Amino acid sequence: MALPQSLRTSVTPLELELIASEHLVEIVPLITMEKTAFISGAYGPLRPPAKCRIPLWMATNLKLKKKCHIVAPEWLSVDFLQERLTRETSRPEFSKLPFRFAEIAKVILDVASDDVQNADKIKSLLKDLREARQAKSRDGLQKLDHSELSLPNLCSMEINEIRPFFIQSMGILTQLFREPSAE
Amino acid sequence: MVFLPPPHLASASRPAYAEAYANILVAHRRSPLTSASSVIILVAPDVDALCAAKILAELLKQDDVMHRIIPVSGLADLERMKDELVTYAELHTLILLNMGAILDLSSENWFGEFSMKLTVHIIDSNRPQNLANMFAGGENGERFIVWDDGEAENMGEERKAWEALTYEPEPDSDEDSELDDEDGVRSNEGDDLDDDEEFSERGPSGKRRSLGDGDRSQEKRRKLDDQSTRLSREQRDRYHELIAKYYGSGSWYGQSASATMYILATVLERVDCDLLWLAILGLTFQYTTARISRDAYDKYHSIYYDEVFRLNPLPPDVAANTTDAITAMSPDDLSVRAAEELRFMLFRHWTLYDSMYHSSYVAGKLGIWKERGRKRLTGLLAKMGFSIPQTQQPYAHMDLDLKHQLRAKLDSIAPEYGLVELTYPSFARCFGYRASPLGAADAVEAVSALLDVAGGIRMEVEVEGARHGGEWFGGGRLWEGGRNGEEKREKRIEVGGRQKDGDDDVDADVDCEERKERTWWVKNFWAAYDALSEITAFSIVPLRDALSLAMSLHRAIIRQGTSIIDKQDIRTMRSHRVVVLSQGPDLALFAHPGVLARLGLWLVDALRDRLPGTKIGGLQGRGKKSLPFVVACLNEKTQTYVVVGIMGALDFGDVRRNEFGLAFIEAKQRCNARSRHNTFDASVLEIEQEDLKLFLETLCEVGEGY
Repeated sequence: MALPQSLRTSVTPLELELIASEHLVEIVPLITMEKTAFISGAYGPLRPPAKCRIPLWMATNLKLKKKCHIVAPEWLSVDFLQERLTRETSRPEFSKLPFRFAEIAKVILDVASDDVQNADKIKSLLKDLREARQAKSRDGLQKLDHSELSLPNLCSMEINEIRPFFIQSMGILTQLFREPSAE
Repeated sequence: MVFLPPPHLASASRPAYAEAYANILVAHRRSPLTSASSVIILVAPDVDALCAAKILAELLKQDDVMHRIIPVSGLADLERMKDELVTYAELHTLILLNMGAILDLSSENWFGEFSMKLTVHIIDSNRPQNLANMFAGGENGERFIVWDDGEAENMGEERKAWEALTYEPEPDSDEDSELDDEDGVRSNEGDDLDDDEEFSERGPSGKRRSLGDGDRSQEKRRKLDDQSTRLSREQRDRYHELIAKYYGSGSWYGQSASATMYILATVLERVDCDLLWLAILGLTFQYTTARISRDAYDKYHSIYYDEVFRLNPLPPDVAANTTDAITAMSPDDLSVRAAEELRFMLFRHWTLYDSMYHSSYVAGKLGIWKERGRKRLTGLLAKMGFSIPQTQQPYAHMDLDLKHQLRAKLDSIAPEYGLVELTYPSFARCFGYRASPLGAADAVEAVSALLDVAGGIRMEVEVEGARHGGEWFGGGRLWEGGRNGEEKREKRIEVGGRQKDGDDDVDADVDCEERKERTWWVKNFWAAYDALSEITAFSIVPLRDALSLAMSLHRAIIRQGTSIIDKQDIRTMRSHRVVVLSQGPDLALFAHPGVLARLGLWLVDALRDRLPGTKIGGLQGRGKKSLPFVVACLNEKTQTYVVVGIMGALDFGDVRRNEFGLAFIEAKQRCNARSRHNTFDASVLEIEQEDLKLFLETLCEVGEGY
């Protein structure tokens, strides 16, 4: 990676987005295509108006050329996100969300916001979710313990955010903890 | 050379736009040497061609076709480009936007010598078109495709005439030598008509005519010999007359190139708001520069109106036609809305007083070049209930209730001052929460200001709020056309260098200047192109800046226009009026044909009611009354005059065919003036300083001769 050494402690969000683009999404194609082999696998055939599952990178490409419509995944809807948000704000643990929901949501909303219902409301719900979860992870970091290593339901962007700090501090904590028992 | 009918007239046997486009794609995908130079788009430097180029580029990009866009400023440039294009081996499609319709493209001078696999598409709104382009067939003919707008259906007569004249065998030439002296008068007439058409090459048919005339006395004998296989003399004459009438009645404009491209996008089912907005800009450009009449505008407007509602459905609770319905509904709202546009120049971005002052319609009716007229303007505003401080506020800061009342008050009070028809239906585009909505006319003003003067001239731009002593450094700042500091530095050196070089007459400097001359408008073209792209990329800052450039351009035009009318600089000749600018603060600015044409249009609008129309007749001597204007401006650097001819119509919203193209060519030949046509428009001419006087006098004679 071409980043300077100081910034190489964790993966950048753009890289995460690239990795997340491998995820399969459903589209309604507007063009016909035979089953074609790509590096990651063979996708197709595309027969409008039947739906088809293709990787997100390919869906983005086709959508930008106006050759398909992306079908929003079922978790990218106002009801689901609203329900998750209420659960998030009412309970102390993290609620279960798709692992790469932030990246996939960003890509889909950037490229195909017209295919998503209520795109504005979804954007504000996603923002609220992020803030709620961020508050929880901040609290969790304060209560770091040398033996606590489980991070239930944390999603890839959030893990990426706390990874450098977490690793370093866990390392120091285990050292600190080991020393008393060594005596 | 075939013409493509528009899709609604297409059938299985007559391919239309979609097939031509599909052929471009097929050629691109199948050719082994495909590179970025396989598809080249040559674009004329006007707003309509620019919009059409953007639409086409978007369509090609979606189909993964590599292409190149090259701006071309005039015929000389086109020739140079053609010489360069001959060397491209992988070129298989050439698209000409708003240029070339009048040229006989299959001749050796143009593209006749290119390889057989080259296809040339001509999408041009200029009329008349060369009939050879439209109707010639054959293997050579199939290479040149003119995208027609349905007018060709009505040209059946011309088609018959042209085909008859081209394909009929020539009369025998051995009998003419005895009869030459009898028909001196007749062949002179024929030569006259041919001289008018320098642009099109009707050489062969003209020659045939003079030969044919020699046969008059042999006619009877000939008729007896073979009546069935030959056209009679009368029929031949009639055909000639028909064709001459088509070419000789002046130039006018057909469907805009961007409308043609939009129709293509519709047929391919790939339209969206951006393409619709570009097509609207092309149409508005044609209307505001008096290229099409109000009726034609209304026709296209209704089509786009339906499209707007199809693509941007309004929520049911918002009324469609209030001027304040143009507010963004959401942060990402990029939709186009229909709105009524007032005829004031840039009225949402300027103070109300200024926009009324600078609009040519109001200027004409109220006579604002005199102090009395300006008082009338303030009087009108006062009557409508707008206090003077309010009218000096930028529109965005005016009181809300005044804005709401503006339309109603104008409708009720303005007719007293003779200002009727102040609004026309138009469109506006929202930009979410990033910026206030932009009207189509304003966007056209901004883009054409960029095309004309974005670089190459020092322009002072007013900073908002500086007017009443708000800024420390005075009222203006220099327009910075370049986007990065490097370009700005380069421009300053250029400007300084050019002013220095103006006095030297070293050859190297002349070359250097020519290269700079050539590149300034290319830079302008790309600045305008980028400004249009910025709209969709959500940051329309360059376009907004261009609005202030357009404002200073208008101010310069008004300054010059009022001084012309004040000093009564307009000389009236028998059939037209002439204005010659040889001094003044903005002379360098008006040396550009685009700006000069705007000045001419302003003068026509301003003086519409005060001057009687004159009949500048067509070839038949039966013209309609119009207001012909010739404006000339001295270009001090090159010691030449730029001359622009404008044919104004007597009614606002009407247009006349511009006959100055033919008149200029004829006058030029009669007096042997050293001159050049630098643009694609025959009514714009650059002439040496010493020849101007003679040229103008010859122009009067030409007018009489009609």
